[in-house]
Formats: sequence, structure tokens, C-alpha cells
Amino acid sequence: MPHPGWSLFGFEGIGTQWEISTPDALAAGVRNQLLGTVSAYDEVWSRFRPDSLVSSLSRSPGRITLPDHACGLQRVYSALYRLSGGRMTPLIGSSLERLGYDAGYALATSGSPQAPPQWEGTLEWTGRELMVTKPVVLDVGAAGKGQLVDLLGEVLRASGHTDFLVDGSGDMLHAGTHPVVVALEHPYNPKQAIGTVELANSALCASASNRRAWGDGLHHVLDGATGRPIQTTVATWTMAASALEADALATALFMMEPGPLEDEFEFSWLKVSSAGAATYSAVFEGRLFS
Amino acid sequence: MTTPLRKSLYVGFAGLSIIGTAAACAPKAESPAVETPATQNGGQVSTTSPSSQGSAASGASSYKDGTYSADGTYTSPNGQETVGVELTLAADKVTAVNITTHPSNPNTKKFQGEFAGGIAAQIVGKDIDELNVSKVAGSSLTSGGFNDAVQQIKSQAK
Repeated sequence: MPHPGWSLFGFEGIGTQWEISTPDALAAGVRNQLLGTVSAYDEVWSRFRPDSLVSSLSRSPGRITLPDHACGLQRVYSALYRLSGGRMTPLIGSSLERLGYDAGYALATSGSPQAPPQWEGTLEWTGRELMVTKPVVLDVGAAGKGQLVDLLGEVLRASGHTDFLVDGSGDMLHAGTHPVVVALEHPYNPKQAIGTVELANSALCASASNRRAWGDGLHHVLDGATGRPIQTTVATWTMAASALEADALATALFMMEPGPLEDEFEFSWLKVSSAGAATYSAVFEGRLFS
Repeated sequence: MTTPLRKSLYVGFAGLSIIGTAAACAPKAESPAVETPATQNGGQVSTTSPSSQGSAASGASSYKDGTYSADGTYTSPNGQETVGVELTLAADKVTAVNITTHPSNPNTKKFQGEFAGGIAAQIVGKDIDELNVSKVAGSSLTSGGFNDAVQQIKSQAK
């Protein structure tokens, strides 16, 4: 609980733990709206369930019409695909499955790493309309959780809540007049933190390769150019106005240097290399333990 | 204790930073000629004295431990600008670097702001239990299904 006396609503959704904190307990109707938003998101985007909208595209090429929020997701993915030279891509799903991170959690590789298909010639995605020319495994895991954090924040605002913290297991959106101090988890020791930040009316997202890992050098942050897990960066944190952007940028930082991202996005960042060195932008100044 | 850090290290480091700043400051449309003077002038370190609280380094250390700071100036397309550099030395290694900015016009403020930040040679962990925090941001907790599968693999591998 971020503040004493606050009320906490916890649940599991899209494969992780969620906690929503508010000064007063949420009404049953609001809770149901929140849970409904989570299941609706899962029904569209989950590559882990055969009945999701995007799963149909893994069986045969075709066109799907997505909910309104797809516009924001498409903008972010298009920009980051371009800026990263294709290394960050929503087509990464087939590469993840190849390494064993599939719907059945095989967690065993079915061959050497394989790069995903290129966006060009495979995927046409404009706002709500998405079309693929061959079967693909879409995976919006790099930004989807962040977007769902934002969507839950919208549900809270729409029901009159101005103070809240939405925490999707480390990807957070804060609103209101009570800042929250958040510890930054040590990438090699989940019982430790490497620093703290104060979160106020902003989103904070993290990406790390230590927990969604299932074998020697196998984890879920893959390079879209090669289909291989990225080994040079082990953890990143970002702060931005939206959790969608913060989440996507946290993953993009695994694949590229921050400079080109800073040209197009307003965000703060912290990046830890596999050697344990940290680089960071101004907001993280003085926040790391020494 | 006030110990002048070897000037060469100052100039070397400040110069490096300033070159980086000049490059970051260069508007894309500007010709390279505009930024050349900045690069050449980079490292004009002002006379700010280092403030060192460091202890006398033992043994063969070349530099005294401590925190040192200096201002560097450079000529940007907007005129003369200043950046401050503070670095912490321990056993001849730079363990922390801080860039402080005091730009004189809004454009420079933006560009210097983008450059400001720093590096830590090695992250340092503290037990979360000992921190007064209620929230942690790091790798996502995984679902039961994923964890169960990993456990199965581990037991198979035994």
C-alpha cells in the first residue's frame, strides 16, 4: 500500500499481479469495470489464448479491426520499429515461441533463434485496422501492459477518482497529490533495490530480463533483428506521461541507445548493463544508492 | 582538505563532456563549421577550486579520493555557455559523475537538460526490507502458469 490507510484492490490479469491503491475503497461497480477492462484487453491481444483476436492471425493471414486504444499502440510501435531499425517489433511473437515462450509454456527451444518477419510486406497496421499477409504471432508485450495500466487509470478518472496508483507488477501510473516513493529492483537480486524514485502524476515502467527467464541465457526480451535474447542490458526504467510510452521505451532501451528516442519522446530513463554499470538521465540523478 | 586535482584530468574530462554537449547542441540544420569552435574551445576550465573532502589515498594511488568539481565553458551557436562537472574519485577510479547545467538561454537549457544525467560505474544494492518503500519497480511478477512450468523444468533437470 503506497500510503497508510489507503485501500487496495488486487487481482491477477494478463499473466501478472495487479494492485490498485486509492484513498477510499473502490465501489463494486468500479471494480467490475476495471476487471472488465483487463479481460477485454486480454481477449484482443493475448497470444497465450487461442480465442484472442490476434491469435486468429497466427493461423491464417487476414484483417482484424481493433478497439480504439490500438491507435496509441500502433503509433508507439511504428515509431520504435523505425527508430530501432526493426529491433523492436510487434512481430517478435514467433521468435519467442521458437525459444519456448509459447502458449503452452513449453519453455524448451524448438530450434536456433530466428528473427521475426519484417514489418514491411508482412504487417499493415493503421490505427484500428490491422492486416497481415501471412500468418504471424503478434506480441505487444513490450507495451501492452503499460497501455493497460493507462486504461485502468482512465476507468478510475472516469469514475471520479483523482488520487490513485495503478501498479501492474512494477509498471505504474500515479495520479494525485500524494507522491509515492518506489524502489528500483536490483536486476540480480529481487530482495534488493539499487535506488528509489519519487513518482508523482507520471508513469514509471521497468523492464528486466531476470524473472521471465527459463534457461541458460533464455529470457523474454528478444532482439527483433536476430530473434535472440539481449544480453548486454539487464534492466531499464523509464518515466513518462503515459505508461504506454514508458513501458515501450523501457524495452526499446534494451535495443538501442537513448539518444534517438529522446529526440521523439519526452521521458526519463535509467539503464543497467550486464556488467552492473548504470547510465541515466537527469531525473534519476542522485537516486541510485552508492 | 583542498587538493587540486591534476589539471590534465580536469581538462580531459571536462573537455570530453563539452564535446558531447556541443554535439548534442548542434541543431541538425547548422553547418558543422558552427560547432567547430565549440569543440576546439572545449575544456576551457574556469578557476573553480575543487572541493575535496576525500581522505588521503593510501599506497600508489595517483589521485586523492574525494569529490571534485569544475565549470567548463564552451561557445555554442547561442554564445558562451557553462556546464559544471562534478566527479567522485575513489582509488583512482571515477565512481560518480554529475553534470550540472547553468545555461543562459532556453534553447541551451533544453539541450543541456537532455545531456545531463550520469553514469554509475557499479550499481549498489540495499535490502528492500530496510527501505521505507511500499512499491517496487523491476521485472514483472510472472503468472502461476509460467512459474509452474519453470519449476517443472528445474525438477526435470535434477
